[in-house]
Amino acid sequence: MTTTRLLLQSILCYWRTNLAVLLGVIAGTAVIGGALIVGDSVRGSLRQMTEERLGKIDHVLNSPRFFRQELAGELAAHPEFAKQFDTVAPALVMTGALEYQKESDAGDEAESALILRAGKVSIFGVEETLWDMTDHGEVPRPEDGEIILSRRLADQLQKKDSDGNVQTDKNGKPLGVEVGETVSVWVEVPSSIPRDSLLGKRDETSREITLTVKAILDDALGVGRLNLNPNQQLPMNAFMSLDTLQRALDLNQTRDRKTRTVTPARVNTLFVAAKSKADREGDKAPAAANRLTHLLTERWTLADLELRVAANEKRQYLSLESEQQILSVEFAAAGRRTAERLDLQHASSLVYLANKIAGSKESAKFSRYSIVAGLDMAEPPDFDAFTFAAGGPPTDKEIVLDSWLADDLGVHIGDDVNLWYYEVGNHGDLPEQKRTFKLSGIVEMTGSAIDSGLTPSVKGITDVETFDEWDAPFTMKKVTDRDDDFWDEYRATPKAFVTLSTAQTLWRSRYGQLTSVRVSPPKAESLEESAEIYSREVLNTIDPNEIGMAFDAVKQRQLAAASGTTDFAVYFIAFSFFLIASATILIGLLFRLGIERRSTNVGLLGAVGFAPRRVNRLFLTEGLIVVGSGAGLGLLAAYGYAWMMVYGLKTWWFGAIGTKFLFVHVTPLSLLIGFVGSVVVAAVAIWWAMRQLRALSNRELLSGAVETSLTGEARLQRGRKASIIALSCSVIAAVMLIAAASIPQLSEREAFGGFSWQVVSFFLVGVLLLTASLTFLSAWLDSDRSTAVRGSGAIGMGRLGIRNAARHRQRSVLTTGLIASATFVIVAIAAGHRNPAVEQPKMNSGNGGFTLVAETSQPIYEDLNDEQARKTRALDFDKTVGDQSAISRAERNNRLLAEMEVFPFHVKPGENASCLNIYQTHLPTVLGVPQRMIERGGFKFSGAKQDNPWTLLEERLEDETVNTKQSIPIYPVLADMNTLQYSLHKGVGSTIDVPDDENPEYKLKIVGQFDGSVFQGVLLMSDENFRRLYSDRKGFEYFLIEVPVADADDLSSILETGLNDFGFDAEPVAKRLDDFLSVQNTYLSTFQTLGGLGLLLGTLGLATVMLRNVFERRAELALLRAVGFRNGHLAWLVLWENAFLLTWGLLAGTASALLAMTPHLLSIGADVPWTSVITILAGVFVVGMIAAFIAVAEAVSTPILATLRSE
Amino acid sequence: MSDSDLTVSELTKRFTGAAGELDVLSGVDLQLKRGDAAAITGPSGSGKSTLLYIIGTLDEPTGGKLSVLGENPFNMDSSQLAAYRNKNIGFIFQDHHLLPQCSVLENVLIPALAGSGAGAAEEERARELLERVGLAERMTHHPAQISGGERQRVAVCRALLNQPALLLADEPTGNLDQQTAESIGSLLLELAGEQNTMLICVTHSQSLANRFPQRYELIDGKLVDATD
Repeated sequence: MTTTRLLLQSILCYWRTNLAVLLGVIAGTAVIGGALIVGDSVRGSLRQMTEERLGKIDHVLNSPRFFRQELAGELAAHPEFAKQFDTVAPALVMTGALEYQKESDAGDEAESALILRAGKVSIFGVEETLWDMTDHGEVPRPEDGEIILSRRLADQLQKKDSDGNVQTDKNGKPLGVEVGETVSVWVEVPSSIPRDSLLGKRDETSREITLTVKAILDDALGVGRLNLNPNQQLPMNAFMSLDTLQRALDLNQTRDRKTRTVTPARVNTLFVAAKSKADREGDKAPAAANRLTHLLTERWTLADLELRVAANEKRQYLSLESEQQILSVEFAAAGRRTAERLDLQHASSLVYLANKIAGSKESAKFSRYSIVAGLDMAEPPDFDAFTFAAGGPPTDKEIVLDSWLADDLGVHIGDDVNLWYYEVGNHGDLPEQKRTFKLSGIVEMTGSAIDSGLTPSVKGITDVETFDEWDAPFTMKKVTDRDDDFWDEYRATPKAFVTLSTAQTLWRSRYGQLTSVRVSPPKAESLEESAEIYSREVLNTIDPNEIGMAFDAVKQRQLAAASGTTDFAVYFIAFSFFLIASATILIGLLFRLGIERRSTNVGLLGAVGFAPRRVNRLFLTEGLIVVGSGAGLGLLAAYGYAWMMVYGLKTWWFGAIGTKFLFVHVTPLSLLIGFVGSVVVAAVAIWWAMRQLRALSNRELLSGAVETSLTGEARLQRGRKASIIALSCSVIAAVMLIAAASIPQLSEREAFGGFSWQVVSFFLVGVLLLTASLTFLSAWLDSDRSTAVRGSGAIGMGRLGIRNAARHRQRSVLTTGLIASATFVIVAIAAGHRNPAVEQPKMNSGNGGFTLVAETSQPIYEDLNDEQARKTRALDFDKTVGDQSAISRAERNNRLLAEMEVFPFHVKPGENASCLNIYQTHLPTVLGVPQRMIERGGFKFSGAKQDNPWTLLEERLEDETVNTKQSIPIYPVLADMNTLQYSLHKGVGSTIDVPDDENPEYKLKIVGQFDGSVFQGVLLMSDENFRRLYSDRKGFEYFLIEVPVADADDLSSILETGLNDFGFDAEPVAKRLDDFLSVQNTYLSTFQTLGGLGLLLGTLGLATVMLRNVFERRAELALLRAVGFRNGHLAWLVLWENAFLLTWGLLAGTASALLAMTPHLLSIGADVPWTSVITILAGVFVVGMIAAFIAVAEAVSTPILATLRSE
Repeated sequence: MSDSDLTVSELTKRFTGAAGELDVLSGVDLQLKRGDAAAITGPSGSGKSTLLYIIGTLDEPTGGKLSVLGENPFNMDSSQLAAYRNKNIGFIFQDHHLLPQCSVLENVLIPALAGSGAGAAEEERARELLERVGLAERMTHHPAQISGGERQRVAVCRALLNQPALLLADEPTGNLDQQTAESIGSLLLELAGEQNTMLICVTHSQSLANRFPQRYELIDGKLVDATD
């Protein structure tokens, strides 16, 4: 006999017990390993989705500007390109809206009204090269006049009923877009000059393109899911030929008939495929992207940046100007830095249009539409030469006029000169302002005073013959003859001059504060050559990252983001906590029961000379062999468990991640962790099981004892201790309950994480009550009750049955505690469900008092609160046309529009950081908050001390100095608590480095957080800071609207119809909150289900205990039968005991949880799924009782005689 | 017609196993009246306990007759049999089989629970019995807190609670020391006499058997009168 042999024989001899432990370990391993595999699966699937979505696209340049399409070819032809990269494909990537209309051939009113729209559609203008880079299956690329839709977009263009089912017409044909039908695409018309600047075009902002649907892409095809931002949700994509889109937007190649100048075709995006995996998705990918950017800068031209260098032959200077009319800060700085580097003289200037210039009030003389130049006349560069006829250069409140205008106005040095000009409002509106200057000088009409080069050329303005031909975005007033004469002779030459600082104070815009940087030409054979040199040097100076012309290693970034916002393994291990705890306790319980059966063996081994440590080791080794085997087999079960969870995430809990493209992925590390984790957990359980046996002497063990027998007094003392604990918990709970219910301040003060003290107090009351109920049970089981055997029939049996629960107090309390705790979790989670649909608009809530939230595909510039502005957008209904009902409808529509209050936000698109996206996000979409919104306030904040926390956005934060040299500005932002916690993993006070942590250009500091708001997934900053940071973002694309709930649907319809060109898409705030909360509720459901499984294991534990109890008491039960107990008596005895513990656990857990969740249950929007909760709890009760019936069957099937004699 | 309260006539018991058939009892006859006390001895495996359990209706005979107070219990269904046992038979085992979760008093009251119920009268009788066996001070104790002899006395009280006509003891002193065994033996005989109960005791202990007025030895499946 060897120890090994003894071990093996023991394992075989007690195979039933060991099998039970083995099954318990398999369950534990399945849960732990399964959770890890779920994490692997989510990560793996996100990676797979990324690879499918992007196909061969590895790097992307998505520019805010339109650059030459030829640049793609030039880049590909670069000798360095082919070393690392395969292909480059030019494309247009825009956001637009789609509309599908179906006319009724039978005149059916319902069908004729069928208009289906989809906003925020990603429009891709593609050619063969890009199409080949994508996973498009057998679908050929779209030809001219064709469009290919993603499945989700096509679904959006289907008419559905309230249950989401596609409706059909009389012939059973689906009501919605189909292949072969036509759709209208609305896309914003690119405009070089920003629409919300003085000369920006406001009349035609978008253009309609009618196309035939060529194909609807299956979701399985990667191209249908093409998205430049990581998001597992299906996008709404539309693909059309690049040429079609270019022509529709005037971005195609054109030749000017007069000048024969060719304007090249333009695109805004380049897609590149890399050769090696390292350059595609590995650590080297960002370097490869940088390399691409560098190659690009060696090939780009000023035209690609909408810049030009104009050579002024007369004045011998070069002028750096922008097609946008205003030079951005980055370009202006590059122009100046280049001049300084080349040691060139430079001068900055800002010109603006004055509507009218006049002398004193009494004078009737005036001049219209004069250019005013802001420049440095005091210390002019050599290429500027002003000859003063009188006076001298201006100071900040002074003005200089040329002699032409001075003569016109009849003004003299020292006179007041009034100047009227348009100020560009927030909505692109043009309120007229007036400013009075002192005339400091009059320059003669020579030299720079007649330099038309000071004014950058603007198509439709500077290149026309007369004022009548001006293509101005405002109504022109009649000009004087002298103005006409001046235009004939000098065109857009400035007539007036102010200091640069004055001009910038009055006319700086969000897009920049200069119209040109003029430099002396570098030495060269000709001015043209000088211009080329300067142009090249400027291009070399411009940082492509600063102007959004850098390549992004999109595949590497998205694959990195595939690590997920939160590790799903952690989620599922957390979700499965009670499952794991139940399995652990079950393992411990089963092992303990097995050991208890063998207590005499333990005693015998001790008696024959085995040292206690050796005995322990022997049993632990035996246990570990079983545990190891179970863990090994459990890995197979883990795969099955993970498969089930993944299946659940794709079906029952679809809302949690919102994708069907989830597959089981397994990594060896997860299997190893699952194996080791479950072995460790099981070993702890076994150690715990052995611990109490070690306290027994060999004599006690030999006599079959399994726990230290207590004297009556010791038992009572233990019971009294438990009573004191139960009482203390109850008293504390009662005090807290009274305080929480009666002190209103507790509901207003935050404890932590957005939870008020009232919520925390109630939760603690619940936990205390749970503890009290279990300790009370423990005390009660230990108490001395002399009435256990009294009465007759079922009641008498019940008393004895309940007394039987006291036989193994620890077992009973443990299993009851497990059931009570799991019940607590399940009920508390269920009580956390919310249904925002019932919530009314309320200032200090998640909806902030708003009823509608809307987004557009293209920016809207007008103020929708302004009646005049609405009229320009067809949001005005004629009350004089049609019958009475039409008139009434028009009146009602106008009233709704007049009564609504719209708060528009600027939008800087970024990643979707809401809970609807499970990719890791870094920089979410940023909203620019209008001042009016800051002043209005509203929404529920977490932890904010201010009356109006929105004002935190106006704080000026000190720059952060990095490496004692670089100063990085910090801007305050607000965000939703869920976004911060689960997507960004940030809190109040933390910062987000932009564009990345390695080379931050600026930082966004979280200064406050919303609690459960409609702002999930975005950051909010003040409009002022937004304009400073994102000057290229024009107009408004996000709207919150105040309107009575009853009018919301009608108003939505009016706005969506009227603003169709902009892809205006409105939905109730409650609906959006519901979408967000559905994710939360789905997670709760997942947690609830896993908690339910834990509860089931707890019930199985209880069943095991019951069976064990019956087994241990076989002799007692046989004796009872011997003295006349019938089978029915014994059944009652066992059932009562089981029902007592089961009911105690369920009631204690439910009551405690409901009390803990009282504040939530009393709040508006609480939506407890009682049916599922009651079903789970009832199911547990039934399973528990079925187990008890099995125990009963065991009890009554045992032969009396054999049992009594076997003892 | 016999005037005995217990009549065992031509009782046989045959066990069938892998090794074939084994006749343990092959025509046992026994007659007792209320107040009689009989000890049955015999070597291990002779069938003493089998006979006792058949008389106690916990086992069924292969053949022969059993009549207790004029009734043949084997004609009853299981419920009737349980009620019959509860009312007429008291058991004492070598192992006391007390319920550890119940106090001494409660253990004695257990048979009442299965019968008419454990009311005040039953409790009073249980107390009297416990006082009678010297356990008045131990009524609230649990089995783990009393000695082996005390536990067996509790088992005796439990067996007598319902004033059974027949008291069956299977090696009642088997686990006890000699002094305690003698004490228990005396107690059994005294109480059986006091309660006017028929007492049958199966034992290996010759000294215990010798104290019984009637003694039998089970030899070759038959009872042989061994009374001096």
